[in-house]
Amino acid sequence: MKMGIMVLEGPYQHQAADSAYGFVQAALARGHEIVGIFLYTDGVNNINQFIKPPGERNISTRFDELAEQGIPVVACTACAKFRGLRPNLKTEHTRMSGLGSLSEYLQTADRFVTFGD
Amino acid sequence: MNTVAVLMRKAPYGSVYTAEGFRTLMGIAVFEMDISVVFMDDGVYALLEDQDPSKLDMKPLGDGFPMLTEFDVSKFYVHDQSLADRGLTTDDLLMDVELVDGAQIAQILADAGKVLPF
Repeated sequence: MKMGIMVLEGPYQHQAADSAYGFVQAALARGHEIVGIFLYTDGVNNINQFIKPPGERNISTRFDELAEQGIPVVACTACAKFRGLRPNLKTEHTRMSGLGSLSEYLQTADRFVTFGD
Repeated sequence: MNTVAVLMRKAPYGSVYTAEGFRTLMGIAVFEMDISVVFMDDGVYALLEDQDPSKLDMKPLGDGFPMLTEFDVSKFYVHDQSLADRGLTTDDLLMDVELVDGAQIAQILADAGKVLPF
C-alpha cells in the first residue's frame, strides 16, 4: 500500500516526530511504500542538521536516513522561512518545497497519516 | 477524484493550527480534489462573526473561509454539539454551513479518502 505522511510538530517537545518515524519504519518493514513525508509547521525543524542531542536519539538524522533511502522528506518552504530555517541548515538528503508536495502525496497515496499534537 | 476532509479542531488564535489548516486548504484546493471542511470542538470559533485579534498582533482568520468557495471548496460542516456546548448557534457564524452530528462526521471521515486533522 502507498502511504503519505505529514508531521506537524518539531523534535523532542512532542511525540509526533518519533511516532511518524516509528510508523514509517514499521510500514516499510511490512512492504508498504512511503510516497512522501511532508514536514509542516514546527515539523520543519526536524531537518535541522545541527541537532545534536547528547546521549539521545537523533531525530533529524533519522529523517535524513529515510531521505537517503529514497523516501521524499520535504519541509514546507514557507514554514521554514517563518522559523529561520535557512536551506543551508538542513540535513543533506531532505528537501524544502511547498504545499504542492503535500497535494502530490495526498493524490498518490492510498492512505495518508498525520502526526501532530 | 481524491476526497479530502480537513478537520478544524482548535481555537483560531492561541496556536497556529487553524491558520495553517486554512493555508493547507488554499494550497491543495488548486489541485483537483473533493474537499470537505469540518469544524468541531474549539474549531467552531474559527467561523464566529466579527473576529478582531488585532490586540494579539494577529490577522482575522474567519473571513478567509467564505473565500474558499471561489476555489471550489464548498462543503463546510459544523459539529452541532460543539456549537451548542459553547452557547452558539448558526446565527453567530459568518457563513452558511451544514450542521452535522457526531455520527454524520464519522461518515464524512469514513467517506473521505484522506483526513487532515488540525
